[in-house]
Amino acid sequence: MNDATQQEVFEIIARQAKIDVAAVKPESTLKDLGIASLEAIELIFDIEEHFNITFPDQQGANFDSDTASSLVEAVQKALDDKAAGEGNHG
Amino acid sequence: MTNLSTRRVVITGMGAISPLGVGAGTLWQGLREARSGIGPLRHEDAGRLRVKIAAQVPASFDPAANIDERTLPLLDRTSEFALHAAREAIAESGLDFSQGDLGLRTAVIVGTGVGGETTQDEQSRRLYADNAQRAHPLTIVRLMTNASASQISIAWGLRGPTFAVASACASANHAIIQAVQMIRYGLADAAISGGTEACLTYGALRAWEAMRVLADDTCRPFSANRRGLVLGEGAGIFVLESLEHAQARGAVILAELAGSGMTADATDIVMPSAVGAAAAMTQALADAGLAPQDVDYINAHGTGTAANDATESKAIRLAFGPHADRLAVSSTKSMHGHALGASGALELVAVIGALRDGVVPPTANLDKADPACDLDYVPNVARSMPVRAALSNSFAFGGLNAVLALKRAP
Repeated sequence: MNDATQQEVFEIIARQAKIDVAAVKPESTLKDLGIASLEAIELIFDIEEHFNITFPDQQGANFDSDTASSLVEAVQKALDDKAAGEGNHG
Repeated sequence: MTNLSTRRVVITGMGAISPLGVGAGTLWQGLREARSGIGPLRHEDAGRLRVKIAAQVPASFDPAANIDERTLPLLDRTSEFALHAAREAIAESGLDFSQGDLGLRTAVIVGTGVGGETTQDEQSRRLYADNAQRAHPLTIVRLMTNASASQISIAWGLRGPTFAVASACASANHAIIQAVQMIRYGLADAAISGGTEACLTYGALRAWEAMRVLADDTCRPFSANRRGLVLGEGAGIFVLESLEHAQARGAVILAELAGSGMTADATDIVMPSAVGAAAAMTQALADAGLAPQDVDYINAHGTGTAANDATESKAIRLAFGPHADRLAVSSTKSMHGHALGASGALELVAVIGALRDGVVPPTANLDKADPACDLDYVPNVARSMPVRAALSNSFAFGGLNAVLALKRAP
């Protein structure tokens, strides 16, 4: 996992949760961090905008149980997919 | 609720433009047969949208049919739907508004979630994308939220209280309730009321995508594999009258609009509350003079989202107690989609059909039981059964609940 990506995702989470970035642990769920449903959707938007990626629609749209590390993984996957897609076009 | 309520209110006409086609009869017949109005999204920007399905009024709908060519340029798609549905409803009622002071004694109250969204979108595109120098001069008269109510008023010379009601997905029910109160308390003898919506624009679809509540397969209310709502559009318009007015002219009465309940959750802007929804149902029963066991059918809000369907099921249990297990509950959104501010009106067509024909329309696409949704949802096939009285639920973003209680024609 890319440490820089993790740091950037954690900073976006911390900003949304209005907490210090040091308080965001890989195993923290959004619910643990006090991020409720609508804020979670806003967080997803902030991450998509920051990395210029699009997350696939999530079944049941239940972000409460997502952990910080699972979000980092999802970002990494989206970035990898994007890089692969651009490579094909190049 | 109060001694002031002296007049009973009945429905003597209905009209609809829906994803199942033109006409209230077409809609009802389709729902009975579990036909789906959901299909691939028809949109000029479909290629770059993530949303791939919608419940759209068929492309064969001709706005120009029966609307004169001088009126047409004044209309957003919402008003086209509303005028067509109103024409059908008024024709069925047989009312002649030129008689006596009936025009002055008729109210027009139409619900819409967002009003002239298509017009707004077209003009924004002109200005921001195409760098046009001017907006179309009829932009304002097309997009204003009250345009549908005003166009109906003008078309039939209806000069009573006329305005729009907006409460997102509860707009139609809130509008119809205002019309009922007007007639009950003597402010009008008749009313044209319902809801209209046509907001499947690029901007609105993008906004819905961002909320992440749209299903990508179909609408599966109360099913464990439900993946969200499917956006729809359309209009349902009704003619309401006081019972004495309808009886005096020998009108055919479709159903009695016997009561209503309105509450706000006052909790969250999107997450629904079972307590708020249950309170609205309880109010509607009391207002209609119904005990829980008098009700045979509930047309649910049933959007197909994880949150709504579980919360609504809990709310029905709260309001109905043990009788909840003997109710037929269905979500016709599984077939006509979620027409937002028009949804309560399309669903009222289904409730009237159920009361008149003794047939409960099904919940389509319900193929996997969910322990959080533990009522009888009439899965996939309509059911023949006597329906003495029914509720129709609408719950909106913003935590707004509006419930109608209906009885068979007296």
